[in-house]
Amino acid sequence: MLLAALNLLASEGGEKAVVNPVVPDSIGEIFWGTVFFFLLWIMMRYVCLPPLLKVRDDRKNQAQADLEAAAAAEAQAEQVRRDYEATLSEARQQATQTVDEVRASADAERGKQVLAVETEIAEQRQAAMVELDQARSTALGALKGDVTDLAAAAASKVVQSPVDPAAVRTAVDEYVNRSGGSK
Amino acid sequence: MPGLALLTAPIALFAAEGEGGGGLQFPPVENLVIWPDWFLADTPFAFNKIAFMSLVAFVVPVILFLIAGRKAKAVPTGLQNVMESSLDFIEVQVIKPAIGPDGMRYLPMLMSMFFFIWIGNLFEIIPTAHMPANARMANPLMLAIVAWVMFIGVGVKHHGLGYFKEALFPPGVPKALYLLVTPIELLSTFIIRPFSLAVRLFANMLAGHILLVTFSVLCITLWGFQILNIVNLLSFPMLVAFTGFEFMVAFLQAFIFSLLTAVYIGGALHPAH
Repeated sequence: MLLAALNLLASEGGEKAVVNPVVPDSIGEIFWGTVFFFLLWIMMRYVCLPPLLKVRDDRKNQAQADLEAAAAAEAQAEQVRRDYEATLSEARQQATQTVDEVRASADAERGKQVLAVETEIAEQRQAAMVELDQARSTALGALKGDVTDLAAAAASKVVQSPVDPAAVRTAVDEYVNRSGGSK
Repeated sequence: MPGLALLTAPIALFAAEGEGGGGLQFPPVENLVIWPDWFLADTPFAFNKIAFMSLVAFVVPVILFLIAGRKAKAVPTGLQNVMESSLDFIEVQVIKPAIGPDGMRYLPMLMSMFFFIWIGNLFEIIPTAHMPANARMANPLMLAIVAWVMFIGVGVKHHGLGYFKEALFPPGVPKALYLLVTPIELLSTFIIRPFSLAVRLFANMLAGHILLVTFSVLCITLWGFQILNIVNLLSFPMLVAFTGFEFMVAFLQAFIFSLLTAVYIGGALHPAH
C-alpha cells in the first residue's frame, strides 16, 4: 500500500513540483506559530501562572506554618508533660520524705512510750518485789516464831527438860536463813 | 501452496480493481501536509489551517489557566486541580530532574512549549482537523530555534564566553583528543541539537499522520468492495488502535521536546556535569 502511495507520489512528481515536507515552505506558518508561541509564553509568564503559583506557594507556606505550629504544640505538650512528671516526682519525693519523717517520729514516740511503760513496769515490779520481800520477811518472822516454839517444845519433850528458847531461836534462825538464802 | 494463494487472491483482486480506476487511491502528499491559505494569501502572513491550530494551541491553555487561576483556592478542585497537576508534572518530571531547583524560572517557557506542542499534536486525532500542527516543519523548527537560543543564552549569561570553551573543550580530556572531541561537540551541541529536536517532533507526527491516513484510506476504499470489505474487520480496529496510539504519541512528543529543552538548559547552566 505504501509502495502504491509512493508510486502515486512519484508519478505525480513528474507533473508538479516535488514536495519536500521537511523543508518549511510557508513563512506564514512560521510567522503565526512564532507569534502565538511567544504570546503564550508571555501570557504564561505574566498572567496565567502567577495566580496558581501564588496559591501553591501560599498552600506550601500554610502547610509549613501548620507543621511548625504542630511541632511547637508538640514541644509545648512535651514540656507540660515533663513539668507534670517533675511535679509528680517532687510530690512523690515529698510524700516519701513526709512518710519517713512521720515514721521516724512515730518510731521515736513509740520508743519513748515503750521506755516510759517499761520504766513504769520496772518501778511497779520493784515495788512489788519490795512488798514481796516485806511479806516474805513478815512470813518468815512469823514462821520462825512458830518453828522456834515447836522446835523448843519438841526438843524439851526429847530431852525431858526445858531447853533455852534463845538457843533454839538462834538455831532456827540460822537454819531458816540458810534455807532462804539458797532459794 | 494453496494457503498462500488464498492469502494473495484478495490482494490481486484489490490491485486489479485499482488498475481499473476504482481501487485504492492514496491522496498525493501535498494533500496531506499542505493547506490552502485562508486569508492574507501569498504574503509572509498567510493564515492557513496550521496557523489556526497554532492559534488554538495558544488560546486553549490561556483560557484553561485563566479559569483555573481566577478563583484559585488553597484546596484545589476541578479545573484548578487539573492545571496545578500539569504544573506539578512539568516541575517534577521536567525541571527538577533536568535542571534542578534553580530551573523554576524556566517554568513559563517549558509550560508554554509543552502545551503548545501537545495541543498542536492533538489535532492529529481531533475529527474534522485530522492534521497535527507539528507534522509541518514550521512550528517544530521555530520551537527548536527557541530552545537553541535559550540554552546558548543561558550558558553565555551564566558563564560568559567561557561557556563555549567548556562546551567545546570538556575538562579532563587529553589535549590530543580535542582534535576529535571538539568538532564532535561543536556538531552535536550547536548544530545537530536543534535539528534533531525539530526533526524528531516533526517526523514522529508526520509518520503518525501518514499512518492514520493510510488506514483511513484503506478502510474507506475497502468499504466499496463487497468481498474485500471483510478485511475492514482487521483494518478498522487497527485504525482505532493507531488513533489511541497517536493520542499517546502526541503527549509523549510534547514531553520529550520539553524535557530535552530542559536538559539542554540544565547542561548550559551546569556544563561541568
